Amino acid sequence: MEVATLVEERTGLKTRWNQGTPEDAQVQQHLDALLAGDLTSDRAVEVALLNNPALQATYEDLGVSQADMVQAGLLTNPSFDGSIGFPLSSDGITETEFSIVQSFVDLFTLPLRKRVAKEQFQADTLRVAHEALATTAEVRQAFTEVQARQQLVALRREVFQAADAAADLSNRQRAAGNITVLALATEQASLEQARLELAQDELALVEAREHLTRLMGLYGARVQWTLAQKLPEVPAAESSLERLETLAIEQRLDIDAARKQTSLLWNALELARSTRFFGRVEVGVHTHRDANGPRLLGPTLSLELPIFDQRQALIAKLEAQHRQGENRLTELAVNARSEVRAARAKLVTLRNMAERYQKVVLPLRTTIVEESQRQYNAMQIGLPALLLARRDQVEAWRAYLETVRDYWMARADLERLVGGRLPSTAAPVPAPTSSPEPTHENHEAH
Amino acid sequence: MKPTDEPQGPAEDTRSESPSLTRRGLLARTGATLATGALLMHGRAAQAQSSVPVAKAPADTGGNASRGYRPVVVPNGAKLPWKYVGGVKVFHLVAQEVEHEFAPGLKATCWGYNGHVHGPTIEVVEGDRVRFYVTNRLPASTTVHWHGVLTPSGMDGVGGLNQKAIAPGETYRYEFTVRQSGTCMYHSHHDEMTQMALGMVGLFIIHPRKPVGPRVDRDFAIMLHEWRIDPGTRRPDPNEMTDFNILTMNAKAFPGTDPLVVRKGERVRIRFGNLSAMDHHPIHLHGYQFRITDTDGGRIPESAQWPETTVLVPTGSTRTIEFVADETGDWAMHCHMTHHVMNQMGHELPNMIGVKPGGLDAKVRPLLPGYMTMGQTGMGDMAGMHHMPMPANSIAMVGGKGPYDEITMGGMFTILKVRDRLEGDGDPGWYTPPPGTLAQLAQADELRRDGIDV
Repeated sequence: MEVATLVEERTGLKTRWNQGTPEDAQVQQHLDALLAGDLTSDRAVEVALLNNPALQATYEDLGVSQADMVQAGLLTNPSFDGSIGFPLSSDGITETEFSIVQSFVDLFTLPLRKRVAKEQFQADTLRVAHEALATTAEVRQAFTEVQARQQLVALRREVFQAADAAADLSNRQRAAGNITVLALATEQASLEQARLELAQDELALVEAREHLTRLMGLYGARVQWTLAQKLPEVPAAESSLERLETLAIEQRLDIDAARKQTSLLWNALELARSTRFFGRVEVGVHTHRDANGPRLLGPTLSLELPIFDQRQALIAKLEAQHRQGENRLTELAVNARSEVRAARAKLVTLRNMAERYQKVVLPLRTTIVEESQRQYNAMQIGLPALLLARRDQVEAWRAYLETVRDYWMARADLERLVGGRLPSTAAPVPAPTSSPEPTHENHEAH
Repeated sequence: MKPTDEPQGPAEDTRSESPSLTRRGLLARTGATLATGALLMHGRAAQAQSSVPVAKAPADTGGNASRGYRPVVVPNGAKLPWKYVGGVKVFHLVAQEVEHEFAPGLKATCWGYNGHVHGPTIEVVEGDRVRFYVTNRLPASTTVHWHGVLTPSGMDGVGGLNQKAIAPGETYRYEFTVRQSGTCMYHSHHDEMTQMALGMVGLFIIHPRKPVGPRVDRDFAIMLHEWRIDPGTRRPDPNEMTDFNILTMNAKAFPGTDPLVVRKGERVRIRFGNLSAMDHHPIHLHGYQFRITDTDGGRIPESAQWPETTVLVPTGSTRTIEFVADETGDWAMHCHMTHHVMNQMGHELPNMIGVKPGGLDAKVRPLLPGYMTMGQTGMGDMAGMHHMPMPANSIAMVGGKGPYDEITMGGMFTILKVRDRLEGDGDPGWYTPPPGTLAQLAQADELRRDGIDV
């Protein structure tokens, strides 16, 4: 099946059109196998390609189109006309007449019609494959979102723990008589704020999971899938980002489909023009027996004379549609080029930001926590200030993770915009991003 | 020197002379105008010895055997050398940046004189004609003000008012006749806030021509000062106005301060100068009652001398105390402002006294493995915290090794060590109290005997 080939070419993954055959059961087993282990981005995409209901519905479009093509490949069915005439006089006899009429025009126009329909089918195939690729990108993004959300929740929990520790200290200080009700209430309010923010983050994770579940078309027990993988680091080496515009114009399926659609309209136009002086031509065999006459047998011919209707309206309409198609194709190409440029810029910027976080900001935050710990040991600052430094470190990590997440989102976007994989210099093997390491100090427990 | 740098006119002392001016003073004055300015001493080569042995007065670097006075001892300090040129005592002060150690583990880039912070102590005799060449090797203009010294107005050193400030690279000449005795000081008087905060101060000791009061066996001189040096930095912050965290005696903070060593029965004089930016210092001496004998205004008549155990040394003033060291021991001498006997204390700490940590440490450690709740019983434990990672170039708030335990003090704290016998010039070590004169853990039988229920 051509969609499967197109999708596999571009994603390296299999897709399948479930048409209610015995093979569908095998598909279900395969799905269970895919969901049994820890979910990966590729697995999630594969599940979606096999199981996303919207995508399956799109595949059905091809069914319709294929039927159209089969239809066009056959001669129009001959019609059988029968007529019996009963004499109204006493000496009359019953008259019968049979004719097999065939629109011979079909025979002339068949190759053209076939071509038009085939192109329609191809265009539909491309459109469906494009849908599959769009779904792929969406699944990858949803997967990335779940990964990021899981880590963001873990980090938010650390923020909450820091607020909890600060409030705990305030309670103890209050018990010792050292701080005001005002100071205690302020710390407690901060703790509650952190608690609420954690709840919001936890909900965002649930929503992200459900989004991915929907894309994979899962329900029932299958929604219990697990995802332990951490968000990958931005790869050390970036794929080549040259010639992406050209690549998009070459391999984007929706552009190809629009191209096919335009040439299809052109062929339809040609067909209409070439048959404008053909009316309906009917050829038949005719038997006839007059009363008390001999039985006659002979051919019949009926010709439509295209005097008034020479298909001007149809041709004008097709011409307009063709021009429309060309305009649409141009629009698609111009937008595709611009979108590719914008997505590439976004990718490069996010990559640079992620690297800046990784190489400069996060090490700085680590230094700040370590030095705060030293200042605490020297009794220059108290626990609240120390916890604040730790919280700022966690917030920097959150910002970093969000940047890495946005990078992978942008990458999926760019892949979608160029209509498949990016030309890779080398397949990057990204390391997972770890959460902030607690500072290691030589500490003697007392 | 450029011609334009010459002082306007001869350095004439136009003040009315006191009738008791001695012949030596006259001689000194007549030689004054013959000065050629050709100094044989240059910069670092002219530095005085960097530290003075603690037990005895050192050989005077610039004096002579017949000088007729006992040189002061400047614990941790130095003296400014001089030469006689045509009957004038010629000194060379070089204002420059100096790397200074306040205590082991804490160094900072300060401003001082001749490689020292504070500047070397100037020691002269009443009636001396003195000539100071002041070379400015700082990036900023500066002047020298002879604080408390009676000079002609043009020699008083207030930038803009009495003279043009000494630009970087320039050398100025100050010259006057010393017409008083007592404890004075010198310091920059140009951008005072910055330059004094960075250390540009020194002592100016003037011995009397004729003995005044009972002869002393030990004469110590201590300059009090305060600084702001954040733990982990290496330069004092001159912008600090209230929150000083390094308090020094002769620019050293305990445990960096050398002890004052005397033999039992000696008459001891201690001169204090204070050029702290914003604080006066009540210096308390343990073990003795003393008399406050001088201010920078001169000798206090005996009838007016206060018996004291604490002398308040206001900023911009000097105070001199005298006593007979008739009780052996190790006697603390320190500023009685308790925050002035701390090193680099953080003043923004939450109050932790009485806080019961409970499960707090267990809660914080997943986030901060190095965390330990501190301060719930005060700062005394800080003396034992040396194993914890501290900011680079910082010293513990308190703590010097004592014979019995950590001494929970820092800053303006030093020790007067009085011994029956002294061997050599150095620190005689810790005092061993005679039996029965040491506070100890009360024994159960003693408690029972005296009906003390614990």
